[in-house]
Amino acid sequence: MIRHLIHRTILGLVVLTATTTVGCATRWIDVSPSPASRDNPVAQSILNDERVPFVMDGFRMTQNGAPQNPSSEVERRILNTVQETRLFSTLIPFGGNVASPGDKVVTARIAFDETIDSHSGDTAWKGFLIGASMFLLSPVIDLDYDYAAEASLELGRWDGQVKRYTARSSGTVHYTVFAATPTMIGELKGQVTEACLTDLMSQLIQDTNFYVANSAPLPDSSIVSVTVKARKPLPSPASLSVVPVSTTPAP
Amino acid sequence: MCMPFLARIFTTLALGSLMTTTALHAAEVSPKITVGTQEVGLNAGYLLPHRLTTDHTTKQEGPAFMPYWMMTLTDPIGGSWYRGQISLGAEMVYIQFQEPILTHGIGFAPKIKYTFVALDRIRPYAEFSGGPFWTDLAGKIPEESSQFNFVLMAGFGVSYFLTDQVALNAGYRFQHISNAGTQYPNLGLNASLPYGGFSFFF
Repeated sequence: MIRHLIHRTILGLVVLTATTTVGCATRWIDVSPSPASRDNPVAQSILNDERVPFVMDGFRMTQNGAPQNPSSEVERRILNTVQETRLFSTLIPFGGNVASPGDKVVTARIAFDETIDSHSGDTAWKGFLIGASMFLLSPVIDLDYDYAAEASLELGRWDGQVKRYTARSSGTVHYTVFAATPTMIGELKGQVTEACLTDLMSQLIQDTNFYVANSAPLPDSSIVSVTVKARKPLPSPASLSVVPVSTTPAP
Repeated sequence: MCMPFLARIFTTLALGSLMTTTALHAAEVSPKITVGTQEVGLNAGYLLPHRLTTDHTTKQEGPAFMPYWMMTLTDPIGGSWYRGQISLGAEMVYIQFQEPILTHGIGFAPKIKYTFVALDRIRPYAEFSGGPFWTDLAGKIPEESSQFNFVLMAGFGVSYFLTDQVALNAGYRFQHISNAGTQYPNLGLNASLPYGGFSFFF
């Protein structure tokens, strides 16, 4: 009886070792829209002097609906994607200085919303099952991690006209326990973000003519006059201390 | 003789982990444990017997060593003090029974752990593990007759992160060893297992 159990245990360990080393380490990522269905944005050729600067005027990020500190990594990535369209002469990040405020510029407000679902409840139960099976079920139980990104781009031309673009992409990484790594989440986010921004730039490029310098003149109202007046001096502390106070007792 | 030797080994391990993390007091330690983060570590403790019925007579005790591996399965769940992450893994359990007879036990136990993350670098956890366990103590005591057994452990502890990747652990487990009725007598052995150790996250 004991020998039988020991044999079973040894056999189980052999199967466990074999399955964990051969069949368990799998993972794959599904992204929607898929890369094959996306059109790569093709930038139109614009003369250099027809390009105008792109000024980041606002950048907002949320995660599962909660506002987040704007990520410089995401901002840089968005700017890189915009740069690849070659629509604009220079890209000025959020908070950067605009050299000539009176020139033609396109101002951008960007919102980047992330939605993450790690399927924690499902994963916990599946993890319990996998553990209870001595990891024998690990090759056949897939775990999932969802990530979705929605990018909204609001571009304001120098004459006050505004155009809005929105793109959304989502993806899921399916993995087995032994295939999980922290980098797989990064890979998922990278692919989903890429799909989202590619879609966004595709929309932007369709309006190329809207952003060239000769598409609209500078409005007169862009010349702003500021009147500066001398500030009225504050009263001295001494004058403040002589505020009349009635000391007449109440009848 | 053996106990001071083991104590010295354990002290050396603890001090070694401290020395390897000389930059322990980096200004802000805020470990970022994400899905897929793995943890390897070693816990060691001393087994203290519990005779839960009058039929239990054996006072088994001795040092226990538990090297382990864990995989983080979820992002933090919840939004209050109970906010935490689930990880799954396995550990080897080696026990040197010094009482009542010098014998040994070794086992393999899948393990599930819930780690509370609300306190940042101080992370309490609850854990449960169980699996096959072989010991030659069985057959020499009235409680257990077969050498093939199962070990079940449940407990709690706390990890203190010295750096983003290195943590010291301290905890307590209740441990039960029996053969699941495959052979009689099968009263089972119960024990408390206070332990300490260290973890490395990657």
